[in-house]
Amino acid sequence: MDATVPDHRADRSFASPSDAELTRLVADLGVALGPDRARSDPLELALYARDAGVASGRAAAVCFPRTTAEVAAAVQTARRHGRPFLGRGSGTGLAGGATPVDDPVVIVTTQMNRVLEVDVDERFAWVEPGVLNLDLTRAVAHLGLHYAPDPSSQQACSIGGNVATNAGGPHCLLYGTTQAHVLAAEVVLPDGTVTVLGGLSPDQPGYDLRGVFVGSEGTMGIATRIAVRLMPDPPALRTLLLDFTDVDAAAATVSGIIADGLVPAALEMMDADITRMVEDFVGAGYPRDAAAVLLVEVDGLTHGVDDAIEIIRRVGTANGARTVRVAADATERNLLWKGRKSAFGAIARIAPNYYLHDTVVPRTRLVEVLRGVYAIADEQRIKVLNVFHAGDGNLHPLLVFDGREPGVMERVHAAGDAIIELSLSVGGVLSGEHGIGLEKRAYMRSQFSPDDLHVQAGMRDAFDPDGFSNPHKVLPAGSRCGDVQSLPEGVWV
Amino acid sequence: MTALDSVPTTQRPMGVAPQGPLDISDDDLVSCVACGLCLPHCPTYRVTGLETSSPRGRIAAMRAVQFGGAPIDTVFERYMEECIQCRGCEAACPSQVPYGRLIEGARQALHERRSHDRRRRRRLAEWLGYTVILPRHRLVIAATWLLGLGQRLRLVPRRLVPRGVALPLVSLTELRHPLQPTAPTAPSGASSGGPSTGNPTNAFDAVLFTGCVMDAWQRGTHRSAITVMESTGAMVGLPGPGGDCCGALHVHAGRTAEARRLAERVIASMPGDAPIVVDSAGCGAALKDYGHLLGSPEARAFSERVHDFAEWLAPRVDRLAVRDTHERVVVADPCHLRHVQRQTTPVRSILAASHRTVDTDDDGLCCGAGGAYNALQPDLALAARERKIAALQRAAGGAALTDFRVVSANPGCLMHLMAAGVRAVHPADLLAEALDPEHPRWPRDAIRPEPSRHPGSTP
Repeated sequence: MDATVPDHRADRSFASPSDAELTRLVADLGVALGPDRARSDPLELALYARDAGVASGRAAAVCFPRTTAEVAAAVQTARRHGRPFLGRGSGTGLAGGATPVDDPVVIVTTQMNRVLEVDVDERFAWVEPGVLNLDLTRAVAHLGLHYAPDPSSQQACSIGGNVATNAGGPHCLLYGTTQAHVLAAEVVLPDGTVTVLGGLSPDQPGYDLRGVFVGSEGTMGIATRIAVRLMPDPPALRTLLLDFTDVDAAAATVSGIIADGLVPAALEMMDADITRMVEDFVGAGYPRDAAAVLLVEVDGLTHGVDDAIEIIRRVGTANGARTVRVAADATERNLLWKGRKSAFGAIARIAPNYYLHDTVVPRTRLVEVLRGVYAIADEQRIKVLNVFHAGDGNLHPLLVFDGREPGVMERVHAAGDAIIELSLSVGGVLSGEHGIGLEKRAYMRSQFSPDDLHVQAGMRDAFDPDGFSNPHKVLPAGSRCGDVQSLPEGVWV
Repeated sequence: MTALDSVPTTQRPMGVAPQGPLDISDDDLVSCVACGLCLPHCPTYRVTGLETSSPRGRIAAMRAVQFGGAPIDTVFERYMEECIQCRGCEAACPSQVPYGRLIEGARQALHERRSHDRRRRRRLAEWLGYTVILPRHRLVIAATWLLGLGQRLRLVPRRLVPRGVALPLVSLTELRHPLQPTAPTAPSGASSGGPSTGNPTNAFDAVLFTGCVMDAWQRGTHRSAITVMESTGAMVGLPGPGGDCCGALHVHAGRTAEARRLAERVIASMPGDAPIVVDSAGCGAALKDYGHLLGSPEARAFSERVHDFAEWLAPRVDRLAVRDTHERVVVADPCHLRHVQRQTTPVRSILAASHRTVDTDDDGLCCGAGGAYNALQPDLALAARERKIAALQRAAGGAALTDFRVVSANPGCLMHLMAAGVRAVHPADLLAEALDPEHPRWPRDAIRPEPSRHPGSTP
């Protein structure tokens, strides 16, 4: 550990368990949860070695609780056996937040998937962590309500995982990220006790520990019940597709629309390759020859929406938009969004692997940053695709590659380093919504001073003084280098 | 070496990988980026929440075997066999991972390996079913006679029927009356077909593939399909000898060699270039895949001729004279129609004039029938069905199961749903009911490449 690293117990490492320790651990978990809900078959463990990110680790056991008490029992059992633990939802995270490091007990919440209570008048719902984001919206759709944060993986990702990563999504531009939509959470703390953070009424007295917990990436315990805010469906909703022959023009339009005083519900950008790729999958009528497209959604009262469409049309045309198309109906709109939200998953049409960054830059600097990103990728001979939440400057440069090619990972990491350096140099931040997890933690030092990190570590230690909860995540340890060798033993990228 | 050291990697090593034990293409296997967008579309993941019963998990397990040195053992076998092969994941996958090919490759490896170590009784049962009975239609019919008689004499021992399966009451009347091709009235002077088995060259406008179990257990549906097709003016032929079984169940079970032999016989049973119409979604998907299964130009040309019943009928539907029944029916798309053949619009359009179709809100999640799956994996099949039934009832506005009908174009789904008390019916039967008996059938000589509107109907 180098001298500038703050001393925090989250850095604690756990030795691999012996066979005898492992047998006793799984037996005890089986007693706590039922024998079929605690498992350690090597092949099954292999399937919980990673999430949708790149890094692989290894779990000592996986278990499937169905109640808060069972989550608490699993946490207590893990601790009693000296093992760390890790909560996992759908495993759709993109930063290795759910990658098991130091042979933890993986506590999977997929079987806790009930919507417990919906209050239509107060517009909130209590849900279990395994409820899928889109399932929640569908469950309340007949009431004219929806859950606003809509990550691109919303059909598959769980509310518990959304809370852990403070997930965003296209519509968070106007409505805010997950933290603005979580009122309260019942949490199993890292010591195995249960508490409720936050509350249903606004402006809770005292420190906002709910706000600390949301986005803590599993390092402060596991949410077992979540009170989420439900939003009324807007009376009017229109989706526009703007098509550009030049990336700079699209980027300038983004900044122009917001400078004009309009904050759309969503403002997304896709560049040429990704547009062709998703069009191949959905056939939504995305122009295959565009250099970039903007997908813009405006909602609200009908008159306001009509005015907003005019502003977007005017700004887009002034910046050189080739066409401005307004989706005619819900089918067309849904197809356009399906294309946007399938983008990451569609990557394998181009190459079998990708490494994704998540930096945020000021909107006014989008043009130069995008140019820089393409130049960096060119220099490293890595293909880069850009599909991102342009409205809040949240870049998602996808570095796509074939892992079978020798030496390619080094170039991917070099390109990633340069993109992060560029983003931070214009006043941006490291991550918009995917979290730091395992894959981005080495970059934390680029953004934060040792003092900053020390304070953050102190916050984490307040929740988890013994370092049992999702060790090695978020806060950096060891050297600055983000490559394979610096990851903890047992982790395979 | 501790137990944890035997956890295999699911990652492909850098550089050239050694050829693993599964006959699966390297490119196919690495094309999954593990994004997880398939998860909610997998019926077994939906009811278990387990990575091991998800498409992403199964692909990771295949990688562990192929690249990570994991053994092909009973654990791997269980993960593979828990898959219903509905291919809902394949339709949902933005990277278009060819999951069907992957799981079929894995099943084939399992089949070849276990011919040695599986229990003798199960091997005998599988041999009887797959190798002896299914490919011989007379045996299927004979077995059905025995079943039908046994049902009436209450002689079918419960323990012979796997849990999760409810056999339909066999119609002995139907069994006594084989299907007939359209009689040669032929105002256009076309030559006639044979007396009982078709000569499906250009004498007929379409050939109805009748299959194995469906012709024995649901022959009435075939009859409805023929009636409806004839009402559009088409002369309908039947397969010649050898068109006994499409081999879909064999492909699913990894019995690829047998499936190929059956496919060749089926192709030979329907020569000529008339369209082949299939009213079983599972068989239709299998026939459409012969081009890939056999890899020959003849097989590819054959697969081009294959149409699902609704797919064939949709462009001709205006020739049907149907009355509006005003009945609301909930559509349960068979997976092999929706996810594999990607045909969802036709069934809705052929019923548009006679019924009000309603969709479920579950993105076409599988009902758990899965060919022989409900017999082999009853727990998962029943859990998937329970979820499906809840979706059907939501679509029907919360109505009781007895108060609405469900339309599905696959015999296995129909039986699986009916066993739970769902009033499930094939679209051909619905249309046959709604045909206007007073109205003359569309004249054959009026058939043109571009279907036109029915005389008497207003544009």
